[in-house]
Amino acid sequence: MTLNSGPQVGVTFYSFTNPWLTRKFDLAGLCREVARRGMGPNIEIIGFQSFKEFPDISDDFAARFKDLMAETGLNPVSCAINSDRFLKPGQQPIDDASLVEYHKRQLRSAKKMGFSLVRYQFALPVELLPDIAPYAEELDIRMGVEVHAPMWAGHPAVQAYGEMYAKLDTPYLGWIPDFGGTASRIPESMLNAARAVGAKESLLDKLKEVWLEPGMSHEKAGRLREWALAEGHDPAHIQAASLAFFILANNDPKSWATLVDRTIHIHGKFYGMGADGREEAIDYETILPLFRDGGFTGTMVSEWEGHAYLADDGFDQVEAHQAMCRRIFAGG
Amino acid sequence: MLPVERVIGEEGLAVNADGLRLAMRLPWYRSLPFSTVEVASLVIDGEPIDLSEANVEYEGHSWPLAELGEQTNAFWFVRDSAFLHLPGRTAAPGSAHEVALIVNVSPPYIPGMKRANPQIEVLHVAA
Repeated sequence: MTLNSGPQVGVTFYSFTNPWLTRKFDLAGLCREVARRGMGPNIEIIGFQSFKEFPDISDDFAARFKDLMAETGLNPVSCAINSDRFLKPGQQPIDDASLVEYHKRQLRSAKKMGFSLVRYQFALPVELLPDIAPYAEELDIRMGVEVHAPMWAGHPAVQAYGEMYAKLDTPYLGWIPDFGGTASRIPESMLNAARAVGAKESLLDKLKEVWLEPGMSHEKAGRLREWALAEGHDPAHIQAASLAFFILANNDPKSWATLVDRTIHIHGKFYGMGADGREEAIDYETILPLFRDGGFTGTMVSEWEGHAYLADDGFDQVEAHQAMCRRIFAGG
Repeated sequence: MLPVERVIGEEGLAVNADGLRLAMRLPWYRSLPFSTVEVASLVIDGEPIDLSEANVEYEGHSWPLAELGEQTNAFWFVRDSAFLHLPGRTAAPGSAHEVALIVNVSPPYIPGMKRANPQIEVLHVAA
């Protein structure tokens, strides 16, 4: 076995949301397919996507999962957990003690299955971290908060977390960058999907213009909607076009540099690989060297999100994306 | 229709002595607590169905639709169908019906977000 001390390239099963939802693969089948295609060994799994027993995994299921990992040679690096604070829509969020316990249940389950870290979310109020971090330390499992669009390194919530991280000063807490927050443009594949359902060019031109403007995602979506309704665009076309506001933001790709030191894992978010071997919307050639040269030695999982508007199974896309990332990590 | 938009389950529409059952899929990429799911409307052959007596059945549980919002610790696994049970309704086995279902989801980590998911299918009643 060769010792590779640089960044590792793996995959999140979220990329295969389409064949998962259509029941083409069960969990064992999907693990075997990922292993057969050489997309691992390092993987991420969303607890609430792939494990029926989540958030409370039984000893029996955990043992079977470990057998499956041993059989396929996959390495369960990251379990994505959810900070589900709004369990009753339109009502008050659940109380703090319940939210802390909800996280602990998921941490226990992830640890029991052999994952070495969890992805958690900013929906967890920062002041609750002192109640949860000691438990992660006790279990010996790291926690990375996902910096996902519309957030980015310079977002106030990220700064508040950074201050709490400095105060708690533990290696068990870190960042999980998701590159969708620093997209350079809206993916052409996403625009094509909107065209395919009938969206007009004038609507997409306006979308591209508003997407670049400053402001919160929902404000920008509202601005486009108001304009488009006045111009007579179909609400279904407006909804298809507005997806871009909620999954992508155009902050500076170089801004990730300030988070490299505490980055424990990465979501290599992407939408479509071009014939030139580059991602169509996110500037990987600028972003990945920041982590490579900054000493990041964890895993970047390829995360294809084109399933939000395409029916593809994701496998070919992930293969092309991993090839690009390995090239850049190797200095190419 | 994308897999993530599907709300009518593969098992379709079935009838037996205690009424009709319609298979439903969760239109999201991950499992959600039933409290965040709302069966907004059902129209069969153009007739809006009164859902005040309807139940949601999943894994041996049955909840009145009106109480679904209380199920904060019952999770709908995203690969599974749940069943909308309509007591007292009937249909001839083998007959075809146009079914229009709308299921809303409010993902519990995104405050204020509510997605409406409509689907219309012609289904043949299984016995």
